[in-house]
Amino acid sequence: MPRPTAVEQQLRARARELLEKREVAGVLGFRAGTLPGTCVPFLATEPGDADRLVLNRDCAANLAAWLPRLRHRGRIAVVARGPDSRSIVNLVKENQVERDRLHIIGVADPDDTQPVRNPVVFDEFLGERAPDSPPDDYADIREFEALPPAERWQALLDELSRCIRCYACRQVCPNCYCPTCFVDASRPAWVGRTPDPSDNVLFHMVRAIHMAGRCVECGACAKACPIGIPLMIINRKVSLIVRDRFGSVPGTDPDAPLPLTAFDSEDREEFIR
Amino acid sequence: MKPRIIPGKELNGFIKGLMERAELYAPKERDTSPFPANPASDENPPALDAAEHSAGTPPVNGNREVSQFFRDTTEFRHITDPAQVNLDHLNTKLPLKELFLPRREVMFTFDTDTPERVEPVEAVAAERIVLGARPCDAAALEMFDRVFLDEATPDPYYRARREKTTIIGLACNEPGPACFCTAVGGSPHGSAALDLLLVDSGDRYLARPMTAKGEALVAHLPEATAPDIEKAAGLEQEARAAMKFTSDTAALQEKLKAGFDHKAWDEIALPCVNCGVCTYVCPTCHCFDVTDEESHGRGARIRTWDSCQFSLFTRHASGHNPRPTGRDRLRNRMMHKFRYFPAVHGTVLCVGCGRCIVECPSGIDLRETLTTLQEELE
Repeated sequence: MPRPTAVEQQLRARARELLEKREVAGVLGFRAGTLPGTCVPFLATEPGDADRLVLNRDCAANLAAWLPRLRHRGRIAVVARGPDSRSIVNLVKENQVERDRLHIIGVADPDDTQPVRNPVVFDEFLGERAPDSPPDDYADIREFEALPPAERWQALLDELSRCIRCYACRQVCPNCYCPTCFVDASRPAWVGRTPDPSDNVLFHMVRAIHMAGRCVECGACAKACPIGIPLMIINRKVSLIVRDRFGSVPGTDPDAPLPLTAFDSEDREEFIR
Repeated sequence: MKPRIIPGKELNGFIKGLMERAELYAPKERDTSPFPANPASDENPPALDAAEHSAGTPPVNGNREVSQFFRDTTEFRHITDPAQVNLDHLNTKLPLKELFLPRREVMFTFDTDTPERVEPVEAVAAERIVLGARPCDAAALEMFDRVFLDEATPDPYYRARREKTTIIGLACNEPGPACFCTAVGGSPHGSAALDLLLVDSGDRYLARPMTAKGEALVAHLPEATAPDIEKAAGLEQEARAAMKFTSDTAALQEKLKAGFDHKAWDEIALPCVNCGVCTYVCPTCHCFDVTDEESHGRGARIRTWDSCQFSLFTRHASGHNPRPTGRDRLRNRMMHKFRYFPAVHGTVLCVGCGRCIVECPSGIDLRETLTTLQEELE
């Protein structure tokens, strides 16, 4: 077991304190996994659990996804990096979690590839702020967009054909909390149960559209995919459209309405004014 | 049956011989090139043939350091050139089961306007040889046999594939960090469900036939000597010693009987997101769903893989679900593998391949779960 980092030490001390004083029913964070490079989402509920908390760049999950499921447990403290906090902002706006039932422990994301590493909202901040990343130029998306349409389509088809429809991408996503996912509907059945290219593409494209204005690009879906489908090429394309058309970067402004549910009398589209 | 020797590390001649006998399936690198520089090609038509439609992956999931043990780009696929065979891997991304229980099986087709027009799909399978099955993957087939070759209701599709397939195993000399076959009654050099087992013994392969079908493949090769056999035994001992995890599965089966409502399940289930990864990469999970697909008056009744982790798995037509929560579903998976299946068939439904451990997006380790259950259940 490697020595705890400075921020891990602070986190453990605070978690113990919060649990000892019974200010929260649990502290949601990560513990070390059994294999190298793995972290397991973990709810510390006793002061003695606090020393199991870890925080490193292998912590792949977006912890906000656990919050709706933990609502019945009472007040929860959650370790929130940039992406977790952005998802919390969204979940509060979408009435999936109550802000005043959360105690948000903000930390900088150890993953330096994240476009927003520092938390957007928090009740307390531990450790040091990460340097702000340069504005995202979406170079990967621009490069992909530059390919001829036939090649883009073939590339997407090749990738999505490999999907085994385990729905790990959906299950780890904080945005996917629908009681019944459209793929699970049976009357009518919108999507076939066979993992064939047409149904796979339908699943991923409908999911992508549902992510518009909501995806915080945490990358949890792509990391969860056992087949290694580069899902972020789809999600980031959607994010780029939302940024260009709505000037919105999801989850970065707790006070701004969700772009796709807001009405603006100055909207540039005539049909909606 | 006499053990034989394939001299040298060159398997090309042997593989060519196999290809002349039957369709050959073996671990093979993924066909398509990495995203996005992927020229349009006709090599990957949207075919639905199960074996041609399985998947590999570049090592991009959360478990970066572990992926070296699991050559992520390999999968069991039809071999058309000996050079495609890649035995330099521990376990393929997806298990062998797809060759016997495809993700999609059409059982009959029908005409929606004239209900009497039902056309059954005959269970026919081509003669096949599988090369490079790990002993754990093969052992899982013996468990499938108990389900799908049950005397009262044998499955014709499974039976046709099983009977027409000769399986050549590849013994494991260096188990990976997630391997635990010895804890569930297996062995890195195990021979269950195999026709022939190859042991990589440095400068040669020891070929140990288990059946007449396996013997026929190596009858022309030189006989193994006593030192060859001794060396293989040593390799097996070393490989067994490399796996430290143990679990008293008989005791656990008893504990699970009384532990259905134990609070330990809450803690175990907390990280689980109830995706289908563990069940789909599992060589022993075999639950399936049956649905109708129809379009423009023509329909097909199909069988597809299902996962007990999905909320649809046991949802009744009324809407009632006896396993409404994720915890209930995770518990069911453990109960099926370590309580119900052993009670009915006398063996746990797990071969210790470790894929669920490596691929779990939440980093859940089945070995840890078993240990927690052993400790907390009474």
